[in-house]
Amino acid sequence: MDTEQKLKQWQEAGLLDSETAERISVFEKRQPVPKKLPLLLMIGLIFFSLAIFSFIAANWQAIPDLAKVLVMLALMWLFYTIAYFSEKKAFGSPLLFRVIGLAMFGATLLVAAQTFHFPLANSLLPWIMFLAALAHYFYWRNLIYSVIGFFFGATVLLSFLPDIGWVEWVLFIAVAVTWFYFSKTFAPVAFSWLLLFASGFMLWGLVEYDSLLWPIWTLFALVLLLLIVPENKQRQIRPFYLLTAGMLLVVYLAVRGQTFISLVDKSHMAEAIALAAAAFGVLVLSFFKFRSLLWIAVPGLIGLLLFDETAIGLAVVAELSALGYLIIAQRQNEPLGLGFVYFIVVQFVIYIIYAWERLDMSLFFLIGALLLFLLSAIAWWINRRKEGVER
Amino acid sequence: MKSWIFPIAQTLIVVLLLVSYYAASWFGEQYVLRAEPFDPFDPFYGEYVMLQYPDLKSSEITNDSSIYFTLKRAEDGYAVIDRIENEPFFGAITGSVYDGSVTAPQLEQFYVEQGTGPGLESARDLQVTIDVSSWGTIRPIDLRERTE
Repeated sequence: MDTEQKLKQWQEAGLLDSETAERISVFEKRQPVPKKLPLLLMIGLIFFSLAIFSFIAANWQAIPDLAKVLVMLALMWLFYTIAYFSEKKAFGSPLLFRVIGLAMFGATLLVAAQTFHFPLANSLLPWIMFLAALAHYFYWRNLIYSVIGFFFGATVLLSFLPDIGWVEWVLFIAVAVTWFYFSKTFAPVAFSWLLLFASGFMLWGLVEYDSLLWPIWTLFALVLLLLIVPENKQRQIRPFYLLTAGMLLVVYLAVRGQTFISLVDKSHMAEAIALAAAAFGVLVLSFFKFRSLLWIAVPGLIGLLLFDETAIGLAVVAELSALGYLIIAQRQNEPLGLGFVYFIVVQFVIYIIYAWERLDMSLFFLIGALLLFLLSAIAWWINRRKEGVER
Repeated sequence: MKSWIFPIAQTLIVVLLLVSYYAASWFGEQYVLRAEPFDPFDPFYGEYVMLQYPDLKSSEITNDSSIYFTLKRAEDGYAVIDRIENEPFFGAITGSVYDGSVTAPQLEQFYVEQGTGPGLESARDLQVTIDVSSWGTIRPIDLRERTE
């Protein structure tokens, strides 16, 4: 039933006076009519495009090499053009059309690479897509482009393997740092940070010296990023530093505790000492600049602790840092979720390393855990009563 | 209006890629290589033929993931290795050597028309025509059965 009819009905029922009904009908007439494509036209269009695509696919072999690439390029242009007009005339979703346009660009590159036998093993095509996605991101600032950028950034990193050169590596870091620096929202900041951290792993391929500690060095190097970003961005990425530091501790603990072969080259003592010194530097820097990140200095001890074959030192450090973090975060009224997850993971890893197949040990841990629960329950009870008194 | 920069720049990139590809023919030399198919099955990448080259042999360097070489035409018309080094030099093709057999990434596999793959694989005796630019890039032109 249309509006006019309804209004008439309401008027007759005495719900509306004629003046209001008049005003409503004038208002409704001024509203833009929703533009809708008729269903049949939509179905027709879908079938038509399917027909075009299957026609191209069926004759793919007969199409000359250059024409194949041109067809894909034409599709790319088509979608960018639709995007342009959809933005101008406000129909459809310009973002979607543009993303399809970008995808068509990727498809063009792939088709060109396949028809002309380009070597697919090098990093050229991922690089082009990575830069194109970033350019789109910087122009339109949309989350989807940062997701695409992250995907192709990771592909670039993977395509570096196994032969990786310094020039390309430095270039990649420069691009990722630029992305990091000029991004304001959480997702691109996080994505670029992850790419930067991952590029540290490439040092295994780049440097002759076979260090076990590259991820920790990378984390420490990334602390420098905090010096160039404003306060609010620091707060955004702080969890990444803490999470990574925690994960590094757990991973090194698990690896050291579970592998009985001599992982550590004795001649690497100098590096371990240097890492501890760097950790001290990080400690001092974060004490003065960003105190909540003091914890990321802890993995600096890993280098030295790896020399201990029983991994007890690592376990103690992981346990103390987990407890310490929880207690301090609790006292400062900060969120405890991640701290708890870390604490539990540490317990789990320690349990697997030391108490597997040892009932006495596992019982010891079980009783310890129960005691902890009891203590925390008592603490909670006392805390609650105190709060109750204050109220 | 600035948003048009994207499709324009992207088109330019594709054009650049294609030009760099055709440039190997404009400023280069054409070689015909004796080739044999091997390990010829991949369900994901469509139909292509994996190739190895009986004439491209290296006695000095037998196993290396990156080597640099140039080609020359032998008396029978098929290409053989001219110069092979561990270090890059101008005009060299970048490749690898395994068990004395030399190959380059662009030469290892050749996409063929759908349906022609099995025929080429069973033929065993193949020849590949490539253009090599004077700066060492390769443009594979053609893969066919060898008629000797």
